[in-house]
Amino acid sequence: MALSLYLDRGTMIHRLHPTVKVISLFVMFWSVYWVDHPLSMIPLGIFMAWVAQYTGSWKNFYRYRWFFIILVFTTMFAWMFFYRQGTRLVHVPLIYISRMSLTFGFGRGIKLAELLAASVLFLSVTRVEEFTVGLSKLGVSYRVGFAISLAFRLVPLFIESAVTVVDSQKLRGYDFDKGRLFERLRRYVTVVIPVFMAALRRANNMAMALEARGFGLLNSPSTLIDYPVKPADIVASLTLFIIGAGYFLIYYTGYGAIRVS
Amino acid sequence: MNDKALSASEVTFTYHGGTVPALRALSFAQGRGELVGIMGGSGAGKSTLAKCLNRLIPEFEGGDFHGIVMLGRARLNDLRVCEAAALVGMVFQDFEAQLFCTSVELEVAFAMEQVGMDRAEMRARLAPALESVGLPGFEHRDPTSLSGGEKQRLAIASVLALRPSIIVLDEPTTDLDPEGKAEVFALIAKLRQQGLSLIVIEHESEELLQADRILLLRKGELVADGPPAEVMTNFDLLNQCDVHQPGLNRVLHLIGIGGHAASVDEAYEAIVRKYPALRDAQRVRTLPPAPIESGSTPTAPLVEMENVTFEYPEQGKSALDGVSLEIGAGDFLAIIGQNGSGKTTLAKHIVGLLTPTSGRVLLEGRDRTSMRAAETAREVAYVFQNPDHQISAESVWDEVAFGPRNFGFGEAEIEKRCTEVLQAVNLTDMRDSDPFLLSKGERQRLAVASVLALRPRLLILDEPTTGLDHREQRNMMALIQELNRSGIAIVMITHTPWLVAEYARRVVLIRRGRKLFDGSVQEFFAQDDLLARSSFRAPPVTQLSRRFGSVALTPQALADWIRERG
Repeated sequence: MALSLYLDRGTMIHRLHPTVKVISLFVMFWSVYWVDHPLSMIPLGIFMAWVAQYTGSWKNFYRYRWFFIILVFTTMFAWMFFYRQGTRLVHVPLIYISRMSLTFGFGRGIKLAELLAASVLFLSVTRVEEFTVGLSKLGVSYRVGFAISLAFRLVPLFIESAVTVVDSQKLRGYDFDKGRLFERLRRYVTVVIPVFMAALRRANNMAMALEARGFGLLNSPSTLIDYPVKPADIVASLTLFIIGAGYFLIYYTGYGAIRVS
Repeated sequence: MNDKALSASEVTFTYHGGTVPALRALSFAQGRGELVGIMGGSGAGKSTLAKCLNRLIPEFEGGDFHGIVMLGRARLNDLRVCEAAALVGMVFQDFEAQLFCTSVELEVAFAMEQVGMDRAEMRARLAPALESVGLPGFEHRDPTSLSGGEKQRLAIASVLALRPSIIVLDEPTTDLDPEGKAEVFALIAKLRQQGLSLIVIEHESEELLQADRILLLRKGELVADGPPAEVMTNFDLLNQCDVHQPGLNRVLHLIGIGGHAASVDEAYEAIVRKYPALRDAQRVRTLPPAPIESGSTPTAPLVEMENVTFEYPEQGKSALDGVSLEIGAGDFLAIIGQNGSGKTTLAKHIVGLLTPTSGRVLLEGRDRTSMRAAETAREVAYVFQNPDHQISAESVWDEVAFGPRNFGFGEAEIEKRCTEVLQAVNLTDMRDSDPFLLSKGERQRLAVASVLALRPRLLILDEPTTGLDHREQRNMMALIQELNRSGIAIVMITHTPWLVAEYARRVVLIRRGRKLFDGSVQEFFAQDDLLARSSFRAPPVTQLSRRFGSVALTPQALADWIRERG
């Protein structure tokens, strides 16, 4: 199992200044935040698809394909319980199916998928070290920035550990697929303790190793790699500004909203 | 000029909340350029001592610390851990937990960055550090893509770059295969030649035979401090300290020569001096008869693997490539091979955690691929390398009862099975204890007990002795041998040569997903070319026996052979 999403492709986007990369993640989140209608999310989706193509990041999207699909459709379905506006198309107990509820639910699903896509893209082109540098340049303390970036690296390790724990329980006859949905979820509680213990041990070992390598001596350590600001960073920043401002304009003019039909 | 690299004086430490000191008034000194080995059983205080040397104790792990640690003329007591980092380099056992960066060069630079070194100086130190550990050209590699031995060498490079006065290596090879282990010890020998002061904590005594001095710890006390020739020949003391007696010294002792041999060559010379007739012993091509084993005789195949190939979806290459294998009831099989060679993948096919891309796995004649993992659990049990991946209950009893409860056994039956297996693994007195408060050896035995309660016919153990001291290893292996005698087939995945030599009856060697060898242990160790190609090393005693043209698997067997022919 690959432990990092970073793909060392060396494209212009890979070589952007870390701060620009962190800002780009923020702008993606910002843009998605302001709009609800699925159509208004299309331009951002196209932009991200272009970035994925240009940076050769489709491999990572393929890894999470099922997660994207499940995210969109479960979100859409879940909102049918709560979003009860528009003319009802079909009468089904508990859920409310209208053109508006479908649009809203689908929009929420796409919104979450685009947030995830932005994160996948960011991690595909950004080393964890760059993430730390980017956060530091934006005023976040080195320790906090390092901890955040390290967390990204740890998540796959914890997933790996959880998979091993699930396997070990299965081999003692524990059936995780038994019962209805909530019963199945409840059965996964047995995984929590071993994974938590493994996570604690690993975190403790890692913290010791970090201290033993001088972590924490300086508030602002030096860096092996120089990150000069290049013309491409200016162009990228302007592009991001236009995207962010454009999406705020879409929100402000009301085009990103779902109107009552 | 002070010729001491390091000195510890009256170091005493009690962990926070503990009542018994983990270290008791421990004093020692290390000369410049010396290689000092620290040995002792679990809980002897080895790692605690190491952490005292770079201030992780008491700065990181709190407690009551007394004593003075001096590095040359500098007093370490007043430093923070991060301040001591540039003076004392520390390499840990868990190589995964000490690599944080996404490329080798960034990993090496990490510590230099932390002390604020300027970029030009970092660049200047990078190449020599990688050169020292044999990793030039690896600068842009992702550390996660390296082998275990390479990762550990990278960890050493990252501390070397700071040019510390001393490097402390805390069980640096525990999780490595024999090749990785050899790489790390070759590097240690090279650094020693360059004049670096080194402290190495190890379980395996053979690795430290060439140290300048050995410190032997027991229950936090220093019970011996001397050259290997003195410490490693005191078998009673080694026994009391739960340290493996070096096989070569054991052979010399058994044949009445006595003394210390730091290498196979030295042992050979000592033996032929006493028994000159053996010097001309021709290498025999016929093997001595296999020793009579006490396990039950293998009968009809329990598991049959037919031409099994498997590819992990993301890797695009075969993790297993056309492997065929039969495991009989009562077999005792060791699966060996380098890290990542496919050993665990093979075992996961047997228990049903993985399904072959092509080929079949039959369990007592039934196609296992059509059975779910839970279905096979009563026939085939798997004990994971890390027992903590298995343990989830609040008491030892509940942990053992977990499996039988899943299969819906009645309380009387559960009671009977749990009592039986807790007795077998010698944990009856701890039935109400919290599993996470047990020692590693006890948790390992609990993991075995928890699968034994299902009364499997085949038990697969992934590195069952990792992290255990010698006494715990012997206890664990005695338990496994006893289970085998009772008719349970054993498949043991291991990197430890002496476990293969002394306990297994059959060896399967896997290399890059292919089965390279399947035969008796003696046949395996007799194939010098195969051993060289597979990067697996015979235990020193077996290597020594090969010099005489024999294949002895234990010190006693070799001593008998020498007495008989010499």
